Amino acid sequence: MSQATEEPVSEPRAEGIREIGHDEFDPVGTLALIGLYFLILIGLWFFMYFVEFLGNDPTVVGTAVVTLA
Amino acid sequence: MSNAYIDEFPAEARIVRAAFYSSFLALALGGVFGIIQTLHRTDFLRFMDSVDYYTVLTAHGVFLVISFTIFFLVGIFTWAITTSLDRGLEDIRFSWGWYSLMAVGITLTGVAILAGFTDATDISASVLFTFYAPLQAHPMFYLGLVLFVVGTWLAGADWFRSWLAWKAENPDERIPLPTFMVLTTMLMWYIATLGVAVAILAFLLPWSLGWIDTVNPLLTRTLFWFFGHPVVYFWLMPAYMMWYVMLPKISGGKLFSDPLARVVFVLFLVLSVPTGIHHQYLDPGIAEGFKFIAMTNTMFLLLPSLLTAFTVVASMEHGARQRGGEGYLGWLKALPWRDPVFTGMALAGLMFAAAGFSGMINAGMNINYLVHNTFWVVGHFHLTVGTAVALTFMAVTYWFLPQVTGRALWNRSVALGQVVLWFIGMTFMSNAMHRGGLLGIPRRTAEPQYEGFEFEAAVGSVAELDAQIALGGVLLTLSLVLFFANVIGTALNGKSDSLPANGYAETLSGPEDAPLVLDNLKLWTAIAVVLVIFAYTFPLLSIIERGGLFGPEVIPFPLTLESVTTVGIALETAATETVDGATLALVGVIR
Amino acid sequence: MNIHTYEKLWLVAAMLLIVTFIATITYGSVGLGIAMVGDQQPTVEPTELSDDERFGDPRVEQVGENEYEAYVVAQTFRYQPDPIEVPEDSQVTFYVTARDVIHSFSIVGTNVNTMAIPGEIAEMTVEFDEVGEYGVVCNEYCGPGHHDMEGELHVVPAEEFDLVDHSVDTPTEVEPDDEAEFTVEVRNRQLDDLETTVVLEVGDETFEEELVVAGGETAETTIVVDTADLGEGDHDWTITVDEFEEAGTLSVVDPDAEDDDGGDDDE
Repeated sequence: MSQATEEPVSEPRAEGIREIGHDEFDPVGTLALIGLYFLILIGLWFFMYFVEFLGNDPTVVGTAVVTLA
Repeated sequence: MSNAYIDEFPAEARIVRAAFYSSFLALALGGVFGIIQTLHRTDFLRFMDSVDYYTVLTAHGVFLVISFTIFFLVGIFTWAITTSLDRGLEDIRFSWGWYSLMAVGITLTGVAILAGFTDATDISASVLFTFYAPLQAHPMFYLGLVLFVVGTWLAGADWFRSWLAWKAENPDERIPLPTFMVLTTMLMWYIATLGVAVAILAFLLPWSLGWIDTVNPLLTRTLFWFFGHPVVYFWLMPAYMMWYVMLPKISGGKLFSDPLARVVFVLFLVLSVPTGIHHQYLDPGIAEGFKFIAMTNTMFLLLPSLLTAFTVVASMEHGARQRGGEGYLGWLKALPWRDPVFTGMALAGLMFAAAGFSGMINAGMNINYLVHNTFWVVGHFHLTVGTAVALTFMAVTYWFLPQVTGRALWNRSVALGQVVLWFIGMTFMSNAMHRGGLLGIPRRTAEPQYEGFEFEAAVGSVAELDAQIALGGVLLTLSLVLFFANVIGTALNGKSDSLPANGYAETLSGPEDAPLVLDNLKLWTAIAVVLVIFAYTFPLLSIIERGGLFGPEVIPFPLTLESVTTVGIALETAATETVDGATLALVGVIR
Repeated sequence: MNIHTYEKLWLVAAMLLIVTFIATITYGSVGLGIAMVGDQQPTVEPTELSDDERFGDPRVEQVGENEYEAYVVAQTFRYQPDPIEVPEDSQVTFYVTARDVIHSFSIVGTNVNTMAIPGEIAEMTVEFDEVGEYGVVCNEYCGPGHHDMEGELHVVPAEEFDLVDHSVDTPTEVEPDDEAEFTVEVRNRQLDDLETTVVLEVGDETFEEELVVAGGETAETTIVVDTADLGEGDHDWTITVDEFEEAGTLSVVDPDAEDDDGGDDDE
């Protein structure tokens, strides 16, 4: 890990810079974003499966079920 | 005197530079073929016959997903090993050896493909990136691929050698994270490439040389996908590595969790290979049960990517908050959006989130009837390898190029414009491709419409989709021009003394929090091998039992124009008895 | 190993997502009966398809009341049969194989999509409830003419659907006093026996012949006409079998009167 302690890279740090340690950091923003992502994924999944896929009839079926129908 | 990579490791910097430049050459070629085929397929600009479209497509695919990605990643892996172990490569001549082998290999393959444009030789390899038999390429195509892959194997050996030497001197230290990522990725690669090695060495190469008469098309196809799915993780892992070890630093923060990063790479090692059959959901000859197993493995492979999403975003948030960011979402504004390295990687990550969704659809077994081999799939991998990987690579180039050349970046604003342009171009292109796929538009075809029927859009029109794709293609090409302007401009710059120091992100939760077992590479490799055996033994045995090791009698289909005649004749003979006059007429047309 | 609470939460959510996906797919398979192309079918020799009972003659065949089987061969760069015709409200099982390289058989705008691999046979059962015309594309690159590889599938109204093929073999020219043989071949791809009448009208005469063709079989009948009854000259004829009709002209010519045409005489 010797290299990891070098000075920070990229541009000069913004004004009002502060050190935030491990215990003081709660990634609430990340939780919010990823929660949103989760909802999008679930919503789109059901849309894709039940609307786009099952609405794209005819579909390949097994013979067993067909005799019931 | 600065502390850039080239100052610490001048000899290694030369290797990395060579790998990068090889990669960029492939990117340029692949890009040129990309715009040619985009405009041809959408029917906006055509100057070749549709027959040549497939040679262009083969070149586009192979140059971009084999040479561009893999040359770039051997560059950053070399950087990662030397930087994180803080030691040079053990024997630089060996390193030049594997680099040369890769270069020779891809040149042979590339020449075989490009020779398809001329009638002067009968060499050709218009078999696309997947080279499914009985389509047959010139032996040079397969041989080149073999040399290239062997080159990557030796590169891996080089990095393992560095690690073992380092371990002998530091027996009690944890494997540094970048090295850990390189080693796990290479272990995955060794397992994965066994499939393609067997496919080529045991079947396709001898077959193309005429040593064996037949191959089993389903067997070589299955062996291809044994390799073909994990290869996408081989492209992706270096991008992930950049997101884990560079992005937090560029964001002004620290990596949120070193242990979880290790868990993620272990999961990729273990789960990448036993999933390839999900590319074969619609293949006859493979039982549904095997397909279901492949799906389960694939779905669980989402886990490391979903974990990565959290860890990487949290690391960015850490940077933003250290830079003064506030609020649930307000912190996003505090990120260094003017830095092309950051913006490029962040946009690449955003695109990967979208790609994750279309990938989840692709992973689903029966929903594959909807999307299999449609334009949807093309849209998907232009988001993954075409953006998540390619845009990340281009973005980090702006950081790496000064490091390995010792010259300051030519123009940061151009760089920023470049990454944004790529993002916009790909948004148009991949969105239209996804939508087109849902209409049943196939991938890999030269024509936007067919004669006997039309693809119809429920919303918008197919013409609008084609226009979006062409526009996207033009924007992407412009973006590439800006990229190369920067690469060349930087190479022509004078040496700079004020480059940032070489290094990578620190961690909030470091390796000391990671259980020791995570570093037990033997254990994870063993588990990976067992899972592969579990997932593949029965399907492979079943395929061999059904179709035979060398398959049924098939007619080789060498893809030169003259040889189509041969196939025509062969077909004619085979079919005369049954096939009605129309077939004969058609064979006549082909001839 | 310390994992932040939020990340643990996300880990749980991610697992939930994965399980939901697998559950949805399983519901599709078990609940809705969506079956995958699998390994139900034996292998076949791609170069010997001509001699294969099913693929030697690619066709649609009736196998049950509303059940049909379609044997499809994909090859560079076409499908056989083309178009494929099936009736509405039918259940069709496709058997698809490839003669040369790997192709696909994909019905555009539907979830009917399979790879066609030389040596392997894909089996897919599909219900067609409504009348319609679909395009069929090959979505696996198969060579320089790949973009020309397309076909059509027609789902036709039940009353227009027909699984009976007729072919007629008639002489065009006979000598007076010879017999003219009109042969009608009827191929019945339906399940049930077909009882029909072959009607031949030639000149002023009408002949009728009853014909029974067993399900899945072919039968032929020959009507012999004595040309003496017709006399010399051209005689229009019409053969009618149910909806099928074919017409032509029979010339009764004396070769002695017309020397130059004698070489065509097969007898």
